[in-house]
Amino acid sequence: MNALDYLQFVLAPQVVNGLALGVAVVLVALGLTIIFGMLDVINMSHGEFYAIGAYAALALGAAGINFWFLLVLVPILMVPLGMAAERLLIRPVFDSKDRHVTTLLVTFGLALVVEDLLKVVFGPNTQRPPTPIPGATELAGIIVPNYRLFLIVVGAAIVSAVAYVVYRTRLGAMVRAAAFDRNMAASLGVPVALVYAGTFAFGVALAGLAGVLLAPIYSVFPTMGRDFILLAFTVVIVGGMGSIWGAVVAGLLLTQVQALASLVISPVWTDPIVFGTMVAFLVFRPQGLFGRLGHA
Amino acid sequence: MRDRLTNAMRASHVLALIFVAGALALAVIGAATGDTFYLRLGTEALIFAGLALSVDLLLGYSGALSLGQALYFGVGAYVSALTLLKVPSFWLAMLAAGGATLVASIIGGLIANRVRGVYFALITFGLAQVVSKVVYNTRELGASDGMIGIPVIDIGFGPFSVSAGNPVGFFLIVLAIIMGLYWLTAYLLDTPFGRVLTALKANEKRVPFLGYSVWRARMFSYVLAGLIAGLSGALYPMLRGFVSPELMFFATSGNAVISVILGGVGTLIGAIYGSVLLVVLKSIIGSWTEHHLIVIGLIFMICVMFLPKGLIGFIRPRLEERLSEKTPDATPLTSVSLQPGSAKP
Repeated sequence: MNALDYLQFVLAPQVVNGLALGVAVVLVALGLTIIFGMLDVINMSHGEFYAIGAYAALALGAAGINFWFLLVLVPILMVPLGMAAERLLIRPVFDSKDRHVTTLLVTFGLALVVEDLLKVVFGPNTQRPPTPIPGATELAGIIVPNYRLFLIVVGAAIVSAVAYVVYRTRLGAMVRAAAFDRNMAASLGVPVALVYAGTFAFGVALAGLAGVLLAPIYSVFPTMGRDFILLAFTVVIVGGMGSIWGAVVAGLLLTQVQALASLVISPVWTDPIVFGTMVAFLVFRPQGLFGRLGHA
Repeated sequence: MRDRLTNAMRASHVLALIFVAGALALAVIGAATGDTFYLRLGTEALIFAGLALSVDLLLGYSGALSLGQALYFGVGAYVSALTLLKVPSFWLAMLAAGGATLVASIIGGLIANRVRGVYFALITFGLAQVVSKVVYNTRELGASDGMIGIPVIDIGFGPFSVSAGNPVGFFLIVLAIIMGLYWLTAYLLDTPFGRVLTALKANEKRVPFLGYSVWRARMFSYVLAGLIAGLSGALYPMLRGFVSPELMFFATSGNAVISVILGGVGTLIGAIYGSVLLVVLKSIIGSWTEHHLIVIGLIFMICVMFLPKGLIGFIRPRLEERLSEKTPDATPLTSVSLQPGSAKP
């Protein structure tokens, strides 16, 4: 096999698949990093919200609701869930002495409960909704499934929209102000409690949206959140907790490392590499590639 | 002179004695009825109590949440298993496991103690993930199946010898070891060096001004915790006859954290009670549904939110009051300010 064939049939498909996974990871990490950057809360149950989104898409899809409608409906349904979680679980311990540890523990408990609830309601088996866009397209000699192309495009659009809202709108400025100095923001008329609940719900809705988008590719099973969240956490740490661009850059880089490394070494060894990167970053650059949101 | 911390530790010791009495009663009943199942379950609960103890030492005293303490538990278990497969000697296995976890926790401590707070939690989590994935993929260590067929050993004490296959005998040995580790930890925390650890949790910024090294104190507590976890883990293959990578997974570390929260953070004995409580809860709930995590998760959340000092933290202050009434030289509760969390920066 000559070098050009290797490029076309081995390397390029791997890069494209890595890109699709990268977009997926970025979508999950986005909500995680926003919740950390704005609320200073480590949401250990984020993966379970992602799973809830995927199961909601599965159940509602089976009930005959169109996939395109679900893309809007499921995130909207996730908002009250996120609001309730913030109000009932995060708010009571928000001002405790060690907020990081306490909120981490509470959301860890929530993750245990939700994962088991999903098992009770939907059973332990892996399910897979039908692909909404079948077929594949040939791009410069590389065959790519249409849905993955769609995912890459939509993912890029979502990330850009979120970044626009956070950095360029009045609403985003209010949210960042509330994150930076709660009391000052409140005295300037920002409804801080509502902003906090809304931010958490927004992060949760993003996780739900990621669940809807990724269910046709990565299947749906009760522990799907746990498996995926480890990668998302790594992305958030490497990118810098609370940084949107950091999450994007780190997400795409890490999944490319994973995809390309699996060509050279056995794929089972890519996990230690990814987590090793996370540890290395925590040791040498705990703030990640980029600084954190609202504290620039 | 006795201050509030000494008094609190005395209250823990009283609860520890009650615990030992309860465990001995279980051993007697078990021996009388010829029971194996409950004694084995109790032994396992005690082994995991050692892991919980190490988590509490870090979280309750130096204030560092470790989400990867199962790493050292697993290292201890694997080294013990490897030793037992070569030489079936209890003492050699414990020595090898202790030595290996000592080295591992010094390396881990050098990495993890560069950061603090939430980054510490995530780095310990990441370290355990890396090592468990490596073990999971290493064929020499049995990969995902783990290692089976670890021989049942005889544990010799001079002229006496107890088989690890004897439910009562091994239960008592594990009880002695875990309570020994508890006592050792409590003793070390009561020394001036232990007070530096408590000071770290109360106000880390002031500790260097008083002339103490923060890094040294954190490192010491981390290595001690790793050693406790490793020695507890070393007992696991003797009980079950196998080791598997699950011992290093997050679920194991998570269970230890749950035990500590249920029992009471910063009470030491609470970790041991919590571990037993978790096993009891799991088997009671498990008898009518396999979905015990829903109930345990709910109880855990309630504990974190409404009972932050856990079961023992709820009982102990009452016991402390009674103890300080009996001992007139104890400083009154109200006049002491060296209480975790009372000093604000």
